[in-house]
Amino acid sequence: MDLLLSTQDLREVVAAMPVAPLPGRPRGIQGVVLYQGEFLPILAWEDLPGCTIAPGRPVAVAVLRRRLGLPLDRMIGTLSPPPGAWQELEPGDPRERWLSGTCRLGGQTLLQVDPDRLIALLHRLREGR
Amino acid sequence: MQARETLATMKEPQPAHVVQASVNGLFRTTHTLKGMAGMLGFPNFSRAAHRLEDIFDLMRKGRLRSTDSLVETLEAGMMALESGLANLRMGRQEPDDYLHALRRPLGELEALARPAEGGTQDLTSLLDLPAEMLKTLSEYERTRVTVLLISGMPVHGVTVCLDYATFDERLRVYSETLGRLGELISTLPMDTPADRDGLAFLLVAACPALEAKDLSALEGELVGIALLADPTRVPAALRNEVPPEPATEEPPPEAPSAAAPPNPPQAQDVEILRLPAQRVEALEVRLMEVGQLRDAASLLLRQAPGNGDGRPAALLGQIESGLLEVQKALLQMRMVKVESLFSRIEPMVRSLSRDMGKPVKLTFLGGDLELERNLLGRFSEPFLHLVRNALDHGLEPPSERAAQGKSESGSLRISAAQRGRNLRFDIRDDGRGFDLERIEARGIQLGLLKAGQVHSPERLHRLTLEPGFSTQERITQISGRGVGMDVVRTEVEALGGEIHLSSEARRGSLIRLSVPLSRAVVSCLKVRCARQTFGIPLVNVGRVQAVKKALHGGDQVDVLGISLPLESLQACLGLPEPSGQRAFVVLGQPGAAARSVQVALGVDEILGRGEVLLRSLPELAHAAGIMGGSAQEDGILWVLDPEAILGLAMDSLMRRVARV
Repeated sequence: MDLLLSTQDLREVVAAMPVAPLPGRPRGIQGVVLYQGEFLPILAWEDLPGCTIAPGRPVAVAVLRRRLGLPLDRMIGTLSPPPGAWQELEPGDPRERWLSGTCRLGGQTLLQVDPDRLIALLHRLREGR
Repeated sequence: MQARETLATMKEPQPAHVVQASVNGLFRTTHTLKGMAGMLGFPNFSRAAHRLEDIFDLMRKGRLRSTDSLVETLEAGMMALESGLANLRMGRQEPDDYLHALRRPLGELEALARPAEGGTQDLTSLLDLPAEMLKTLSEYERTRVTVLLISGMPVHGVTVCLDYATFDERLRVYSETLGRLGELISTLPMDTPADRDGLAFLLVAACPALEAKDLSALEGELVGIALLADPTRVPAALRNEVPPEPATEEPPPEAPSAAAPPNPPQAQDVEILRLPAQRVEALEVRLMEVGQLRDAASLLLRQAPGNGDGRPAALLGQIESGLLEVQKALLQMRMVKVESLFSRIEPMVRSLSRDMGKPVKLTFLGGDLELERNLLGRFSEPFLHLVRNALDHGLEPPSERAAQGKSESGSLRISAAQRGRNLRFDIRDDGRGFDLERIEARGIQLGLLKAGQVHSPERLHRLTLEPGFSTQERITQISGRGVGMDVVRTEVEALGGEIHLSSEARRGSLIRLSVPLSRAVVSCLKVRCARQTFGIPLVNVGRVQAVKKALHGGDQVDVLGISLPLESLQACLGLPEPSGQRAFVVLGQPGAAARSVQVALGVDEILGRGEVLLRSLPELAHAAGIMGGSAQEDGILWVLDPEAILGLAMDSLMRRVARV
């Protein structure tokens, strides 16, 4: 699954480090790492609705401004999609709870992560909703 | 007892402002005691507290010098009240005079404090201010003006016009700046100039010299400085009989001259270094890196074959304890007393109370607790907003209170207490409470609630925290602009905290804020369970016991003749159940009586004890029963939240019973 992350939402990308699993792991979070002296929660992709990313061995962690770490298998590069490339998700797509839309570029479909929706979803998962 | 401890500290040499703060605190304590005793029907106790309150009042107004003999007399007075209170608890009758044994020294003190001519000195008329503004100065403020002018300190007035959105913060900056330059005496609200928006204030302060550049005004802020009273205008006769500053043994400063302006009162010989916070943060980051190096060295040592006589491990142990000491010292540098938050609230409440014509009895509790400076910085604004709301919406005007049979003065009690890893603040008023019917109607009107459904009081209280929600039809300068409560919630939640509202119609409201302390040094018992390491705060550990027979969740164990239920830590945390455990920890509430809730917590292995630097978990990573974590050589040690674990253990045990 290829994803798009807005650089405006990113704090930085750091090399992957061992994740300390949380006892009684809360849904959506696989554990924490120490980042700049504080604990940073690391997303469990597999807990997101409609997500096909399986737990693996990430090479990097994208640290969002809202202090959430997204484990990444690889980084492809940066791009500036033209306005016409954006598309809404199909109504009822379970991924609309954490994606803002898709971007069609050169025959490839990229999914744009919406950090606000993602964090709101994680809160709802915690509350069991 | 706390008052006696404060008095004891006053025997040590301390800066004048510290003594002044202590005396103010003691004045408030005796005032509260007096009121409570009167309310509970102990008039003689109330009279005795009133007499001590008067002495503290004379001290805070500078009319009595704090000497050892005075402090000892007051200590004896507080002890007499303490022992009187113990007798009352035992149902004994009140004595006629609790302070009978002290009648002579107290009488001497009261006589000493009387002005020589039989009248009270008041030099506030020297202030170049309109008469109606002078009238608004409290007796205490008038006394400070008098004392400071007599001691040769000029009194200045600083007028500022501040933006609505940031006036709290800016007013604090001005107040602190003036406090540093001398003494801030009063903050008075003023009419905003016709051509300006915002809120205008007059800050009355005594300091040797004052210039606009001293005040760090922001661009666009209207600031004016005027000399309100020149000490050279103080009659010569008064200048000769200088009343001493409390606890200041040095002679009063000379009247200022152009050549050599007097210095403000100096603190003791303690050098205060002001450092940018980033330097401390950089040091912490560096320390963390050193810690990581230590971890790497430790790992290498474990992997190295035949690492010999254990000396390298011992050296690493010494590095570990040294690092922890430095971390503790750095942590201490970041901490600030809750009192500093309270000290910002007091002048604001006084000013708003005067502005709104609502007399308020303001009490604080828990000012000695500490929280992190950066937390205080982010937390202050939402907190001040809530206090403003309590004054503006919660407390009724005096006439309305009188009609309901309440005292004309409203009560506002602000307290702080530590609960687990959280610092909990309560803002309690005895006002009208939330108008739940109106909130419900407004909620339906805004489409946030459905008509015809039953909405719980909790839901309705919480609705006021929704963005844009306000039942206020008029917009005041204080609150009710439809923004604020949601911002408060957002800010508190961003800190990982919680806000809880409750109220009772015509009885009052309670706003409870909990914010987690992000770091603390905690003494822990280290245990292992399910191949993970956990720390249990030692204050909650009653006993540690090993047993020969394997124990299972739901068993009963005998601890010093008391039978306690046992639950495994794994079951509490939702981890796979162990096949049997041979050690347990008796977990209870700190300082609680033996009959309070105790549980035997089964663990796989007891590792020992130690101090750990606790870091709190971000909200998204909160896990039930876990207070936070600490980076250790072999990974993260999870520090348990004992209260939560007690609850989880009881739930788990109940489920076992239900399954049987």
